[in-house]
Amino acid sequence: MADSDNDSGGHKDGGNASTREQDRFLPIANVSRIMKKALPANAKISKDAKETVQECVSEFISFITGEASDKCQREKRKTINGDDLLWAMTTLGFEDYVEPLKVYLQKYREVEGEKTTTAGRQGDKEGGGGGGGAGSGSGGAPMYGGGMVTTMGHQFSHHFS
Amino acid sequence: MEQSEEGQQQQQQGVMDYVPPHAYQSGPVNAASHMAFQQAHHFHHHHQQQQQQQLQMFWANQMQEIEHTTDFKNHTLPLARIKKIMKADEDVRMISAEAPVIFAKACEMFILELTLRAWIHTEENKRRTLQKNDIAAAISRTDVFDFLVDIIPRDELKEEGLGVTKGTIPSVVGSPPYYYLQQQGMMQHWPQEQHPDES
Repeated sequence: MADSDNDSGGHKDGGNASTREQDRFLPIANVSRIMKKALPANAKISKDAKETVQECVSEFISFITGEASDKCQREKRKTINGDDLLWAMTTLGFEDYVEPLKVYLQKYREVEGEKTTTAGRQGDKEGGGGGGGAGSGSGGAPMYGGGMVTTMGHQFSHHFS
Repeated sequence: MEQSEEGQQQQQQGVMDYVPPHAYQSGPVNAASHMAFQQAHHFHHHHQQQQQQQLQMFWANQMQEIEHTTDFKNHTLPLARIKKIMKADEDVRMISAEAPVIFAKACEMFILELTLRAWIHTEENKRRTLQKNDIAAAISRTDVFDFLVDIIPRDELKEEGLGVTKGTIPSVVGSPPYYYLQQQGMMQHWPQEQHPDES
């Protein structure tokens, strides 16, 4: 994550205990950098336009996540994966995003798959226990939250003594 | 994002020519105003085609870029922040590692599309600075962006949906209604609003 700025800038707030204002938005510098890519070199962007887009992106994440989360609940799964997000995007009308993202997800899983198999072999050589990261049912990618593996829509809890 | 030669020729051929207010008075439609309307309609159709082409090119470029992606380590947006925004929903329990990675790319595409659509409105108003009202216009003109309507005040959305900003509505007494100006492509005759807050 070399290209991420720490301060989101833009929307200022006193800093709530639960969710600080800056945590609700993506960093304004990153958002601005992406916006500039879509515009000609001589174009300028006003501060309130940047802040509006910053807010729109957070809304986009919440909107898609909400739909994906509902799907997981219906299917009695605890982990949101890439396929859930793509399904949510299709459902909510973002079909244009889905085709490129399918390719992106496939490539990501291939890279991660190679990594885990390489790590596994390395672990075997060194006599360590199986080195692959916990799979999420999506190409063996590790997951946030730990202790749960989703395979083909079924959950298996890991109990460590 | 330069205008095509065809577009420039059309402008030179008088699509933007001023039509005096009496041309809009009720009565038999004279040949001149009918021709002007046809020209404006043709210009509008051509403009729409250009925009459509622009967006098709945008998606083709996105696909091309993704096909050449090899680096999944560095992202244009921070994954931890994306995860935090996802976790703000209390129904979300666990998130696979790939989810924020997919979102980082999806958000990048979303920002690019929203900006591109907003820029179309900026250019329509003969400006070089993208403003909040351009974002509002992009939201109101695009069906999939309906979920964003709460971010922009309603009155602003209504205005932008018409493709006309406050700065382009003429305040001249006895002038034709602004939707005629829009049809005739005559918005250039009215002074543009200046916005000092640029970067």
